[in-house]
Amino acid sequence: MELVQTKRIEVLKEKMLNEPRYASIEQARIITRVYQENENLSIPKKRALSLKAALEEMEIGVEKEELIVGNRTKGVRYGVVFPESGCSWINKEFETLPTRPQDQFLVRDEDIKEFREVIYPYWQGRSMEDVIMERGQKDIKSIEKVVKINQKDHAQGHICPDTALWLKLGPAGLRKQAQEKLQICREDQKEFYECVVIVLDGAITFMQRYHDYIKNMILDVEPAYQVTLQKVADNCMNLSIRPPQSYHEALQSIWFLFVILHMESNASSFSPGRLDQYLYSYYKEDKEKGIIDDQYALELLECLWLKFNQIVYLRNQNSAKYFAGFPIGFNIAIGGVDENGNDTYNELSLLCLKAQEHLGLPQPNLLVRLNKNTSHELMQAAIKVVAKGSGMPQFFNDEAIINTMINDLNIEEKDARNYAIVGCVELTTHGNNLGWSDSGMFNFNKVLELTLNHGKCLLTNEQLGLDLGSIETYETFENLEEAFRKQIDYFIDKMIKGLEIVEKAHQDCLPSAFLSTVIDDCMEKGLDVTKGGAKYNLSGIQMIQVANLADSLAAIKQLVYDEHMISKHELLESLQHDFKGHEMTQTMLLNKVPKYGNDIAWVDNMGAKWTNYFRERMKDYTNYRGGLYHTGMYTVSSHVPMGENVGASPDGRNALSPLADGGLSPVYGRDMSGPTAVLKSVSRMSNSCTTNGGLLNMKFLPEFFETQSGRDKFEMFLRAFVELEVPHIQFNVVRKEDLIDAKIHPEKHRSLTIRVAGYTAYFVELAGKLQDEIIERTTYDNI
Amino acid sequence: MKSLNEQPMITSSALVFDIKRFAVHDGSGLRATVFFKGCPLRCKWCQNPEGLSPKQRPIYFENSCIHCHRCEQVSYDNQITYQNNRPYFNLNYHGNFDNLIYHCPSNAIRYDSQPYTIEELINTIKQDEVFFKQGGGVTFSGGEPFMQGQYLIELLKRCKQQNINTAIETTLYASFSLIQQALPYLDIIYVDFKEFDETKHKNFTQVSSKIIKEHIQYILESKYKDKVIIRTPLIPSMTATDDNITNISKFIYDIYPEVKYELLNYNPLASAKYSLVDLEYELPQYQKFTPQQMQHFYDIVLQTGLKNLIKEGE
Repeated sequence: MELVQTKRIEVLKEKMLNEPRYASIEQARIITRVYQENENLSIPKKRALSLKAALEEMEIGVEKEELIVGNRTKGVRYGVVFPESGCSWINKEFETLPTRPQDQFLVRDEDIKEFREVIYPYWQGRSMEDVIMERGQKDIKSIEKVVKINQKDHAQGHICPDTALWLKLGPAGLRKQAQEKLQICREDQKEFYECVVIVLDGAITFMQRYHDYIKNMILDVEPAYQVTLQKVADNCMNLSIRPPQSYHEALQSIWFLFVILHMESNASSFSPGRLDQYLYSYYKEDKEKGIIDDQYALELLECLWLKFNQIVYLRNQNSAKYFAGFPIGFNIAIGGVDENGNDTYNELSLLCLKAQEHLGLPQPNLLVRLNKNTSHELMQAAIKVVAKGSGMPQFFNDEAIINTMINDLNIEEKDARNYAIVGCVELTTHGNNLGWSDSGMFNFNKVLELTLNHGKCLLTNEQLGLDLGSIETYETFENLEEAFRKQIDYFIDKMIKGLEIVEKAHQDCLPSAFLSTVIDDCMEKGLDVTKGGAKYNLSGIQMIQVANLADSLAAIKQLVYDEHMISKHELLESLQHDFKGHEMTQTMLLNKVPKYGNDIAWVDNMGAKWTNYFRERMKDYTNYRGGLYHTGMYTVSSHVPMGENVGASPDGRNALSPLADGGLSPVYGRDMSGPTAVLKSVSRMSNSCTTNGGLLNMKFLPEFFETQSGRDKFEMFLRAFVELEVPHIQFNVVRKEDLIDAKIHPEKHRSLTIRVAGYTAYFVELAGKLQDEIIERTTYDNI
Repeated sequence: MKSLNEQPMITSSALVFDIKRFAVHDGSGLRATVFFKGCPLRCKWCQNPEGLSPKQRPIYFENSCIHCHRCEQVSYDNQITYQNNRPYFNLNYHGNFDNLIYHCPSNAIRYDSQPYTIEELINTIKQDEVFFKQGGGVTFSGGEPFMQGQYLIELLKRCKQQNINTAIETTLYASFSLIQQALPYLDIIYVDFKEFDETKHKNFTQVSSKIIKEHIQYILESKYKDKVIIRTPLIPSMTATDDNITNISKFIYDIYPEVKYELLNYNPLASAKYSLVDLEYELPQYQKFTPQQMQHFYDIVLQTGLKNLIKEGE
């Protein structure tokens, strides 16, 4: 029987998309009040009490069609103002939220007034952002054109909680555990467990409030809805006192977990992870009992899928530019190996794909884990969803990832095999990791610019780096490489100092008791997750951007040092003038030397050499929680703003223009040898460099998927991807005309989604510049 | 009419005008297609006019040109004339054009093809080995691959040593002995059978269909017959006639009833590359055949009793 999208889901989807989107200060008001009332308490206590108050007081709502309920604000997709982490930007940008180019929100005048008069004044000097400014503004600012240090005004997020544990114990079970610990713990652990009890009390009340709310509304709805709503109300009450006992309850329980995590942290990305694994026993049991069939199981799953689209993350204008389209990163991983290394997938994996096929919304961020033994059935089901063009699922490669996690990060085999994804493409273990995966972004191309020009910025002439000479003074290419190495070292050192300031501020300002209940071993250690309570404590730095770096170095080596086609003086001058009056030089840089992404080993290795170097250097440092630093190669949409920091580059790129997208992808338009050559080039990057995640974008025309023969060939392509041990790949399948039309007539394409980078967003909600960008991306045309 | 003796017999290197990786439309799986220079036929609808001549020549891409006059400055001995803000090559010039190509900053001037030794070509093909392993391999096309026949046979032997699946796209307008030698090393054999009527065949392609028919008969009676797929390109008002499709179908069915046969829809983009080689595309602007029109031709084929018909997109 063909599984369908029910009327209920259609109605709920339409309601959600039509809802106006506001910025909300409701929780900020509660948090501020609780802090003011409890000035004498410690920050962890104030944090815990303010979360509890929010869970008890925030306005809630339920739609009569809903089978899964709960949200962090009454309205859907509201942008939550969150003062503890930082809100100076809101003070500056509040009025522009409805009109800014990216990720707009409506505002209410009375909210702006209250924020300015009551909320903001209290937090000045108290918010984490201000603490960081006071401790390290100068250091962090002095390197910002080269290294972007993240998480300066919001909580880290990017975490995959132990959902299986939450399902097993529920808030009541976890609360009992904390109380038992309180009886026997050391004095210095006491506060942690007390905070845990406070927030879990809040969680229990929150669930019961939904029960009560539904009981109040139930008499006013049509009888048909009364039956289902009664069930939903019962679920909420049950979950407040005991763990879930059915598939429906388990789904509701999962959603409550993620709502509360967001209410505590207001951070981007908490990931459900391997839902098809930990949810399976509930599904199987209910199906065997005859309580559910696949159609109903799917409808419930689609209700949860809709919920994943109801929480968005309010970012400042600049950050919205880097992470456009509200990526919130509810990543769900299906397939992959089990803890014994055998491939595993089940009916739920296929239902997850079906839900995505039906809804085509940006969340959850669905991905399939592939390995050598992935079944034909799962592959084909996934490819059919890829063909829909929503950019999902993306694919991760067990063969590239698991062994590298074990060897490079000392992760236990069973944890490595159980890896999941957070954020966009960041790798994590499941339920026991504070990966801090978005610590910072290191722009190699800016460092190269400084190396070529006496340490001076080409855009402002400011002295940003070491003066080690210029391209004119480096006798040999090796001399240039040596100077480049020194310049990298200089900025690594400064970056580490900045990262430590930020991590310490998180420990001081944003302890997270609720999150700590679902990250092993925090409860065991009696230690907050920000302080190092997790089993694994990593920090990930993104290396930006290997494609431009490889192309630039290859051009310098071949055209300047080897063939003398361009003189050193001419190169420097052309870069300084952004190629104005030097068009011939720019043309040669673009055309007379091969580029990354065309399966030409020496060019690809020009980039690989430096990503390997940087990765090795990270071994010299330990992060503030005592864990390892490692690296990733993905940019999300930040190749645009990162490019705005870089002057003209020797790969022929003009000043201020975007860098290559993705992270592993070639510069668009320069991969002239087709997708197999791209995969081969990308496979030359060491997987040690992408233990924090790598990102490869490709775009196929829909024609490719129209025939079974096309889908079979796509499967072969994916199996070669597995064999080449490339960590990640994702596909856009869109017609150019669709996009051009969507830009002109956004109203006609409201639900058109497109993969921006490691996530999918509504195309019509992206800024015009980014839309153009996506339209221009290489298309693999096989007509 | 071209004589068969014109085939160059050099085996050390061959001229290749394109290598398309990730070719997914001809043959099983993911393939790399090698396009050899030179063709004895002159089909009016040819899609690869740069593959017709067996000789290397420079070509000019107007869209890439930045009109910097560099070529004018570095040329000598009347290699080019510079008019209308672009270079025109003197194709009677006896030396090479390396200097122009080296100095052109935008690669607007390129050779239409590159010589490859067998070693170089094998290494290039093997770059996609990991994809071939999933099902796929190399396809030799052109031009007419048998124009560089001895080289081709050496190359095929090397491919089989490396366990690479091999396909060919040929007109079979080639010497019988070369065909015989190549057959044992081929896994898939696409044979173009364009027109049944001898007068029309000569008119459309400038060569006789006689030996093509003889070779098709030979192959379809040989032990390699199941590797063969006969193909007819449907050219409006030329090959796409009921008579032609009936006659071809009957002819091949009578030799081997299990023969595989494919009808190729017209490709309206065929004219795209003509200006590069200073040739004119003679056909008017036709559209692709609609699915209904294609079905009409399929019905004709099936009426002859032929069962193994390959339809568009399969």
